Amino acid sequence: MKRTTRSFTSVAVGEKLPALKIDVTAGLIVGGALASRDFTPVHHEKAAAQAAGLPDIFMNILTSNGLMARFVTDWTGPEATIRRIDVKLGAPNLPGMVMTITGEVAARDEAAGTVDISVSGDNNVWGNHMAGMVRVALPREA
Amino acid sequence: MAANFTDQAAIVGIGSTEFSKDSGRSELALAAEAVKHALDDAGLTPADVDGFVTYTIDQNEEVDVARALGCNDIRMFSRVPYGGGAATGTLLQAVMAVATGVAETVVCYRALNGRSGQRYSSGVSGNLITGSAIHYGYYMPFGLLTPASWVAMFTRRYMHLTGCTQDAFFEVAHSTREYAVKNPAAFFYQRPFTRAEYDAGKKISDPLRLFDCCQESDGGSAIVVTSSARAKDLRQPGVAVRGVAQCLAKDQEEMTSFYRPEIARIPEMDLAAAEAYAQCGLAAKDIDAAVIYDAFTPIVLWQLESWGFCKFGEAAQFVQAGNLRPNGRLPSNTHGGQLSEAYIHGMNGIVEAVRLVRGTSVNQPKKRIEHALVTSGVGVPTGGAILGRM
Amino acid sequence: MTPEETTAFEAKIRAYVGREMGPPKRGFDDVNAAMIRHWTEVTGDANPVYTDAQFAAASGKKGLIAPPTMLAIWAMEGYPMALPQTGKVDVQRELHNLLEAHGYTGVLGTNTITEFYRDLRPGDQVTAHTVIDNISERKKTARGHGYFIETVTKFTDQKGEPIGRQVFRTLRFAPSAELAAAKGEAAKGADAPLEVPTRIPSPRGHDNAWWWEAIDQGRLLIQRCKGCGTLRHPPRPMCGSCQSLEWDSVESSLEGEVFSYTELSYPKFPGYPDPLLCGLIQLREGTRLVANIVGCEPQRVHVGMKVKGKVERVDDKTMLPNFYPA
Repeated sequence: MKRTTRSFTSVAVGEKLPALKIDVTAGLIVGGALASRDFTPVHHEKAAAQAAGLPDIFMNILTSNGLMARFVTDWTGPEATIRRIDVKLGAPNLPGMVMTITGEVAARDEAAGTVDISVSGDNNVWGNHMAGMVRVALPREA
Repeated sequence: MAANFTDQAAIVGIGSTEFSKDSGRSELALAAEAVKHALDDAGLTPADVDGFVTYTIDQNEEVDVARALGCNDIRMFSRVPYGGGAATGTLLQAVMAVATGVAETVVCYRALNGRSGQRYSSGVSGNLITGSAIHYGYYMPFGLLTPASWVAMFTRRYMHLTGCTQDAFFEVAHSTREYAVKNPAAFFYQRPFTRAEYDAGKKISDPLRLFDCCQESDGGSAIVVTSSARAKDLRQPGVAVRGVAQCLAKDQEEMTSFYRPEIARIPEMDLAAAEAYAQCGLAAKDIDAAVIYDAFTPIVLWQLESWGFCKFGEAAQFVQAGNLRPNGRLPSNTHGGQLSEAYIHGMNGIVEAVRLVRGTSVNQPKKRIEHALVTSGVGVPTGGAILGRM
Repeated sequence: MTPEETTAFEAKIRAYVGREMGPPKRGFDDVNAAMIRHWTEVTGDANPVYTDAQFAAASGKKGLIAPPTMLAIWAMEGYPMALPQTGKVDVQRELHNLLEAHGYTGVLGTNTITEFYRDLRPGDQVTAHTVIDNISERKKTARGHGYFIETVTKFTDQKGEPIGRQVFRTLRFAPSAELAAAKGEAAKGADAPLEVPTRIPSPRGHDNAWWWEAIDQGRLLIQRCKGCGTLRHPPRPMCGSCQSLEWDSVESSLEGEVFSYTELSYPKFPGYPDPLLCGLIQLREGTRLVANIVGCEPQRVHVGMKVKGKVERVDDKTMLPNFYPA
């Protein structure tokens, strides 16, 4: 994690963010569910997940959101402010999968000093897990 | 020598269901309703029908459509292959049947749940069971899996050779959108869009973005074809079929004709155009309006070249000069096209071309429309038809 | 359901629109450093404004803040969610039970839109106010027919000031027959390891198996007519120039240039690389083939670019020719 923050003026539409690979383990899924106080059984109990039609426990939405936000602020640096996250969920993330998160600067709002970053998280087994837009405010100057 | 059925057959009825993203009913219900509307429009009944033509990809069996409608004996039925490439091909079958006396009243239909059911945008996969599996096998392992990606390959080459830019694609998309804004049947009714929204559309297959791609729709459209003599006694003014032709050109593949000396053009449409013009002795200058198959924006450009509205490489200029607009040289896709009305594999386009000649389009151009062109899907074997006033 | 039953059922579920899920829910714990650390550990978020007090104080944030994505976490119910329901259920649960009883047994979070009005800091108190905001028309989805239920949660702080808002859309669906079948499959193979997808292979038949078998062995062949020597690709049984059925093949030099290309962005297919670049490659021998262009930034690819191919393993099951910038 870098400790400097990108300025609004330094960011261009079309710029790509470095991809982030996440090994989806049972630990990450259960850890994410617990750290987000989401005790819905499908996120920690295999039998419950199977009763819901999936072969194993799967990642909760809060963890997906958390990873998406982290992916963006890893790139912007610490002083950026996330204003909005709009996420569409696709295929579930299950233990043993690898999710690759990619992103690109989709738009800049000159007046607001915000940029919209389109982000996609795709797992290697079922494809798109999440696709979204993260709006982040950046300092005007470096 | 060109075929000699000019003006022997006429389109006397047109009909469509509503267009939607989720019809909530069967494709058969859509087909039956579209045909019924077309017959009502003509002032005919199901008992009058004695021929059916549809697409090989249509899921509605002739027996089911005939029985649902309560038709009597059907003497002629035929199907045309290659997806949207079949659109005006169905008309050719109908005209040949009527001109030869094989049938008297032929219905052409296409009905699909193209959004809520099987979606064409998802492309091909390992589940193909026909001979085309061997063909798509040369593309699937590399990921060239979707209709957009096949068209993108031709598009990139065309841009390279002609200097055509995204500005031309936007003009095609925007002109259809402006028409759709005024068409209550269109998906984009009352929903205009800007260049910024077009540019923000997600990338599909470079250089194609979201709004370069047509709708995926549920719905059905149908037309009724009969002899010109009989047309005179029916409810609507008949619309004569001046010329109609189809072509599968040398070294054609299904969507992937990548091996010809040059790929930035569509020789099958060049040949169909030459044949259709030769049948009736008309030329591009005689065509007043058009419905040009628009599964993707760039394919409209190539067809304008095939039909002689401009020379190779000049289509971008032609459209950017506003020629597809209401007061342009060739008002086109006045229903909103498949980009902005609905994707019914071109059958809704034939319906609109008939309206243009009748003078009843919701976006009817001010000038008198003596002749309208309508074309079929390209990349596959294709064709087109010239319709005119009786 | 008959059309009349559907109308009656829809009237019942629509009566829930606009209702509050229950009384406002005040988070059990105020925003605190321990829960922040637990969250950032799991998400791997090393942003120092969340956990490094010294850095945070000197930064534009002027002190520690909580990761914004924790907004909904502060007011979560916690462990009771894992226990069987007892006693009175809340309004949202009541609605879901009603749908479940009518065959809409599947449930799936489909999207969220979260807005953050200010940074939260340790000591802030979070209260959630949730309303059932909308129920869609009955829609056909890939999983079966169903209804999208949209809840809107407004979050306020200790002063009652708004701090954020979340729209949460859930699909309640009647699993389609295909899905039910797939579910049966999934249950059977529940303990089998996940199969990582590979490229979709070409089927192999009389006219093309030999070509793919050569690829498997690392060679790119071009079919050649024995009658007139014309090369052809893709393979087919007869020569279009002289109609001979006799053919052999030559091995390609794998040298060529890009005749056209496209980068596929959407949809993405599991088992394929990202970015996915497909090129139409003009080989030195004169034939063309479609193959992936690799080892090259998509922006650098252009018509006429010289490339050199290599037939190589691209996944556990697949050998393919790849073309690199020459």
